[in-house]
Amino acid sequence: MTNMTLWLRWSWRDLRARWLQVVAISIIIALGSAMFAGLGGVEDWRIRANDLNYARLNMYDLRMALSDGSYLDQDELAAALADIPGVARSEARLVTPTLVDASDGGEALVVRGEIVGVDVSDGGPHVSSLYVREGDGRTLVEGDSGQPVAVVEYHFAAYYDLEPGDPIRISGDVALDYVGTGFSPEYFMIIPETGMFFGESSFAVIFVPLETAQQLAGREGLVNDVAFILDEDADSASVQAAIEARMEGAFPSTGYAINAREDTQVYTTLYKDAESDQWMFNALATLFLFGAAMGAFNLAGRMVEAQRREIGIGMALGVPRRWLAFRPLLVGLQIAVLGTALGLLAGLGVGKLFQGMLEDMMPLPYWEFSFQFGGFLRAAVFGILLPVVATLIPVWRAVRVAPVDAITTGYLVAKGGGLARFVQRLPLPGKSFVHMPVKNVLRSPWRSGLTVLAIAIAVLIMTTVVGALDTFLATMQQAEDATLNRAADRFLVNLDFFYAANYSGVTGIESLAGADGEPLFTGFETAMIVGGWLIHGDEKIEIALELHDMDAALWTPTATEGALTADEPGLVISDKAARDLGVGVGDRITLEHPHREGLLSFRLVQTEVPVIGIHDNPLRAYTYMDMNGAALMGLEGQTNYLILNPAPGVEPDEVRLALLTQPGVTSSQAVTEFSDAVDELLEMMTEILAVAQGMVVVMAFLIAFNTTSISVDERVREIATMFAFGLRIRTVMRMQMLENLVIGTLGTIVGVALGWIVLNDLFVTVGENEIPDIGFAVTISAETVLLAALLGVVVVALTPLLSVRRMRNMDIPSTLRVME
Amino acid sequence: MIRLEHVAKRYKMGEVVVTALDDVSLEVDKGEFLVVLGPSGSGKTTLLNIIGALDEPTSGEVHINGGTVSLNSTGDRFRFRRETVSFIFQTFNLFPSLTALENVQFVLDMANTSDSAERARDVLASVGLGERVNHFPHELSGGEQQRVAIARALATGNPILLADEPTGELDFKTGIQILDLLAHQAGDGKTVLVVTHNREISRIADRVVELSSGHIISDGPPRTGKAAIADLQW
Repeated sequence: MTNMTLWLRWSWRDLRARWLQVVAISIIIALGSAMFAGLGGVEDWRIRANDLNYARLNMYDLRMALSDGSYLDQDELAAALADIPGVARSEARLVTPTLVDASDGGEALVVRGEIVGVDVSDGGPHVSSLYVREGDGRTLVEGDSGQPVAVVEYHFAAYYDLEPGDPIRISGDVALDYVGTGFSPEYFMIIPETGMFFGESSFAVIFVPLETAQQLAGREGLVNDVAFILDEDADSASVQAAIEARMEGAFPSTGYAINAREDTQVYTTLYKDAESDQWMFNALATLFLFGAAMGAFNLAGRMVEAQRREIGIGMALGVPRRWLAFRPLLVGLQIAVLGTALGLLAGLGVGKLFQGMLEDMMPLPYWEFSFQFGGFLRAAVFGILLPVVATLIPVWRAVRVAPVDAITTGYLVAKGGGLARFVQRLPLPGKSFVHMPVKNVLRSPWRSGLTVLAIAIAVLIMTTVVGALDTFLATMQQAEDATLNRAADRFLVNLDFFYAANYSGVTGIESLAGADGEPLFTGFETAMIVGGWLIHGDEKIEIALELHDMDAALWTPTATEGALTADEPGLVISDKAARDLGVGVGDRITLEHPHREGLLSFRLVQTEVPVIGIHDNPLRAYTYMDMNGAALMGLEGQTNYLILNPAPGVEPDEVRLALLTQPGVTSSQAVTEFSDAVDELLEMMTEILAVAQGMVVVMAFLIAFNTTSISVDERVREIATMFAFGLRIRTVMRMQMLENLVIGTLGTIVGVALGWIVLNDLFVTVGENEIPDIGFAVTISAETVLLAALLGVVVVALTPLLSVRRMRNMDIPSTLRVME
Repeated sequence: MIRLEHVAKRYKMGEVVVTALDDVSLEVDKGEFLVVLGPSGSGKTTLLNIIGALDEPTSGEVHINGGTVSLNSTGDRFRFRRETVSFIFQTFNLFPSLTALENVQFVLDMANTSDSAERARDVLASVGLGERVNHFPHELSGGEQQRVAIARALATGNPILLADEPTGELDFKTGIQILDLLAHQAGDGKTVLVVTHNREISRIADRVVELSSGHIISDGPPRTGKAAIADLQW
């Protein structure tokens, strides 16, 4: 290169001549590279934090949970499991369901929960430790054993702003001394059994010393859960086999399930979530950069056309083509560098901002944020490379023009009509003012196509983000409809054990009366709920099996296929479960369920049962059977689950408080709480959505502005000609807007269609793998389509208004004199 | 019909003031075919632009059809161009995405003319393009494109045609045809002003105004006498 300074100066003048477009494209590049740089390290930060917290808080490697209703003597169990090779440490626990009342004088706050009795001897628990932050009270100590002292799990406490010293009561109306708010690795995220979100709003975990838990549950000396930490070099499968052998030898009639930490939902969700979030951020950033690349392509195209005669002159002077290409390429490179530099700077801020958000949204005891060099490098490479590559195409085309064509005046004036001919026969309505914009779109199909694609990308981002929320909410709505279609005020009450249905403690609940002496309930049903698994072939999924007397139930599921009847023994499963298992109505599947062996011991057994129906709830775990199926479990005539219909005028809080005092009641939940959780989720998502929408609006606007601006450049002589013939500015403006309307409409249609494809892929592949408990109904709501249209059509169509000033100030004679 | 009184136009280019027109006074009658002749930089295009209200004089007055073209507002100037003058450009300036017919129809639609397509077809036929109406500009020769541009100007029905180097992009034979077409318009009662640097072309005009450095240096019939179009040579 002869004189680099000259080329730089020249290209800098090109930049200045189109500074508004340059700024627009740079901002889009900056948005994309800022996302890459700032959020490129989210996965790394989260995985590091997960590793760090699980290590420091001694998350178990294996956990053995006895079947529902099973308890073993803690000393006998300890003896049976002693000295298993490969086990570094084990601790027995007692985990029992309860109701937690955290009401503080005002509104009642009663939620389901569980009491976790942990070994506090010698500074324990040593497996799945408790961590209490400074200022959040204290942890449990050995001296607390047998005392009504509790540490409340952080998520629940934070959700309701609870602090040590606040009143806490549990089932049986027992008050606990709330001494600290703590983390435990098993509860780094609260995921309820049904796979719903915001578990912390309706589920409280209360840690108490083991001895205290035993006293509270009336299970002195008993435990039902053991957590193991293995030696570093231990083979998990061998240890598990050894535990199973010991259990078979010592407690052959007691059922249990052993899970590795990698099998637990919270653990896997935390890791998978980090991965999928990163994927989403990278995808969004890439889309932004693609949008920028489209803008760079358009601008470069316009610039090389403007420089065509200069290129032709260069060719005539014998300047090599690569030098001629250098000037516009240099412009592309400078835009890319400018945008990327801005993006990297913004990335630092975005990163800091997101670190704060992570700490709030994913509360963990320890976070360590390091500078993500890789993310910044990737942002720099992509941010620079994509726009430069996009610039290459029009530049390459420009320097391939024959010199004689390049140097001819009028070459572009009469340049082809593109696909405009194809609409010749279309009966377009209106005057030629209406036809011309449509034909202008078709005149440069390649460029129009890229502009459509750029707008489509903006719409795609919005459709994907908002559509994901639509899908989620539609699925939750489906679940809500399935639950609330009948007896919508009903309460679901869990008991701490299986009781005879005619036991006075149970029937006493039916006859509970309010303060006015009137009965609280008008409907009462004894049912049963047990955990279990459905197995078919290699597939095995966890379920919550509800047994109802189908002839007398207050509520039964709605079957979309088959029917749930008392006459035919069998299961009604969710559509998602049917799909995952590959079964339909009439097929036989294996049900693994508890079977009573003794008063406090249950064994897991497998029974072949037919699928007799598919219900309409998208939550996979929900499975139903007629009460006569209780015989399979050795639980005929028993109940551990009550359905109550409150009397008219009875408030839910009144029911909760009344049930709290009933012995044996471990949880009570109004089915309407489901919709409350959905509403809450919607509220949170709306905030996220607003940010996403804001970014998309900016991007769509910048793309549209860029497009219009380039379009005005490109058509400047045509516009001047129109003005020379006296066509009003507002008419020209309307034509520009109509052209943008066509482009925007096409972009929106393509964007929404692509969004639909991406959403399906997202929920079919990512969603089903990471949230397998929910059968998502992929949905793009009418509001979302409207929003997309607002962005992609209205914003894009109105953008030409920004060119009014430019048109008003146009020097018509000079413009008409210009040779392209 | 067109009267310019002491019109001057000065541009400031940096520190230098360039005088494009200096004290130009001129009258053009209805139906006259006037050629404005001059070398590059003589001010002839500026003169045309001022008459066509594309540009404003620095001083002096322009009267068209008895009225003053003071044209204070942008709207007035746009209306004037829409209703009084029509331009024909050297590089045609057709709309590339519209066919010949649509290019002409465009200005008719602008004037809210009914049956615009039919009228556009008639005007194109009158300039000899009846068979080429559905062709796009890039499918037409230079001469045909200029005919479309003339048809577009004629379709407006405006009484004044302003042509800036209308043969500049054309070969001799085609240029002759275009001039013939313009001369016929003058015969039909329109006032036609053609700007050119080609003295030969000026021979067909009724009257030639010669400009040099912004001044009118001569005004009258062609120096060598009016010639028939068939006698032109260049």
